[in-house]
Amino acid sequence: MLRRAVLQTFRQGLAQSFFKRNAVSLSETTVTHQTVETSDEGGEKFVSTQKTGDESGNTVIVAPPEFRFMYPEFLPDPAMETRNRLKEKLERMDMLQRRSVIEIPEFYTGSVMAVTVSDANSPNKFARFVGICIQRGGSGLRAWFILRNVVEKQGVEILYEMYCPLIQKIEVLRLERRLDESLLYLRDALPEYSTFPLDMEPERRLNNLVVPINPLKVKLRPRPWLERWERQNLQGVEDLNLPQRFYDKAEKVAKPWEKYDLMLHYRKTIPAEEQEKIFAEVQSQLQQQELKRKMRRRRGSDNEQ
Amino acid sequence: MVFHKRRWLVRRLFFNHEQIRTMSRVKRRTTHPPYWHVLKNNQREDEKISSDNLRFVREVIQDKYKNKSPIKGSDLDIEKTVWDPKTKRSGVIARNIGVQHMWEKDGKKVICTVLHVLDNHVVRYVPPEEYAKSVIGTKMFKNRKPLGCLVVGAEAANPDRFTRQYCSLFDEVGLLPKKRLARFIVTPNAALPPCTPLTAGHFVIGQAVDVYGKTIDYGFQGVVKRWGFKGGPASHGATKFHRRGGTIGTGRDKARVWPGQKMPGHMGSERRFNRGLKIVRINMKYNIIYVKGTVPGPTNSIVQIFDTILPRRRFTEAPPHPTYFPPEDGTLPQEDIWDSSLHVFGSPSISV
Repeated sequence: MLRRAVLQTFRQGLAQSFFKRNAVSLSETTVTHQTVETSDEGGEKFVSTQKTGDESGNTVIVAPPEFRFMYPEFLPDPAMETRNRLKEKLERMDMLQRRSVIEIPEFYTGSVMAVTVSDANSPNKFARFVGICIQRGGSGLRAWFILRNVVEKQGVEILYEMYCPLIQKIEVLRLERRLDESLLYLRDALPEYSTFPLDMEPERRLNNLVVPINPLKVKLRPRPWLERWERQNLQGVEDLNLPQRFYDKAEKVAKPWEKYDLMLHYRKTIPAEEQEKIFAEVQSQLQQQELKRKMRRRRGSDNEQ
Repeated sequence: MVFHKRRWLVRRLFFNHEQIRTMSRVKRRTTHPPYWHVLKNNQREDEKISSDNLRFVREVIQDKYKNKSPIKGSDLDIEKTVWDPKTKRSGVIARNIGVQHMWEKDGKKVICTVLHVLDNHVVRYVPPEEYAKSVIGTKMFKNRKPLGCLVVGAEAANPDRFTRQYCSLFDEVGLLPKKRLARFIVTPNAALPPCTPLTAGHFVIGQAVDVYGKTIDYGFQGVVKRWGFKGGPASHGATKFHRRGGTIGTGRDKARVWPGQKMPGHMGSERRFNRGLKIVRINMKYNIIYVKGTVPGPTNSIVQIFDTILPRRRFTEAPPHPTYFPPEDGTLPQEDIWDSSLHVFGSPSISV
């Protein structure tokens, strides 16, 4: 248990949002995202590193709470039967090693990304795919995400493993979020919502501190669907216009008590204290890598000029 | 894939009833240790002793086991023996701490089990003549040349939780009592003196090992999960026949149920060996071995690792014999050793 003195406002926010249904508190319209501000002096980057003092006066490095949204794969699988601290630590070391070679940027479901993979069967030996991230999951080196696009009227989804060494480059062309954590309903939506040009250019963000939430409401095709979307409380879908019996059955089958079930949410997540420990461990390395990349980019742009 | 499944499920017309009958009488698991073992865990209730007395007890334990510096190879009197291909080396007790995915140099993903080699120490060595007279020794070496036995312990624990008889096993050598003991059959030239530490360096990168463990305990299971029966139809009027076994005999031939008939029962918690697993990575700092494949047992269970007995994957060159010792001149060994077939995470991405 961390000492009482380390209870900062962001930690209270962490504990509060921990009990909410989704990891993301959707009641807030935006999530503050603090990037590493590189100052010319290279002095204290107090924006990102929260150095807090405790009773004995030693500084304790605590990572900002946004880390659990930016790097969710660093948190292990909550199932207690398979947890082992030493193995998780070793896995994190391997993940950081891989991240030192390739930049795995921050992204969320709803972001448009481009992934370049090394492929023996491709003409150029590299295959590039652009798509919207509809789902992400896995923990540790098994972390994955699915990109969806419609290519020549054919819907295509590709699952990429984030730490696979065949991946050459991951670019985020448009960093944004949607109203749902999983966009699997795009499979039953009109194709225009999943179509993105394959030669899309990366878009510049207007505000670097904030990841915008796109409040787009998607129109679904007429039934039959792959899943019963009316039972899933989707926010990002337009009114489904179904006969009343569907909604009645959905109500019968619904489990409204789950949002009050504290033990269920406790078992599905890693405790806040452990999360802090984990991110404090990896934070300095991640920041160093981020810094190096920024400097490389700046040097690259200077060389061009 | 479908072809293999069909072959597996095809009912054999001719069972070897003799073999099934004899094996069905073999007792596969017990909940008690053998009768020659001493009582291990402390049977008395938690005595309510005062904090002063508790502190005193702790001091006594510390005094007894202090002055135990890390043992170097030169301190132990190990006979200089030569390795030959017929040598059987000691094994090692480890904990299966989970499964990690790694990638080979061509991009293929492999599942590797992470095994944490605990603090192993040799407790004693039983020479072949003596071991051949023991209960297990007589059975094992009935028609063979007898071999020696190394008793190795792992995971030191507070002596408070064990009985005096159990702690006395370790007193002669001056070790803290270990939670787990194991016996490894070794040739006399691979014998080790008591108190020898065994670490992850005992093994060589790229070698094949056999891992012994107790499989996952599924408890009392039905016939579908335990034996892979198909059960009955889910609908079409099937009355209470969805996961049952169905017929258990012919009615004509022998007119009874054959011994060994597959029925519901306890599943799991059985001794199994996974043979020929390749070691792909060794971490000397944390004493971790990454083994390609899976091992029997759940996560966080104890397993034993031996050099493989498979004839084609045995050693051709000498391994650290009889075991590995860190270099005397204080140079640290390489911390993380990878097999040549694996892609190291810090190296550039693979271009196929």
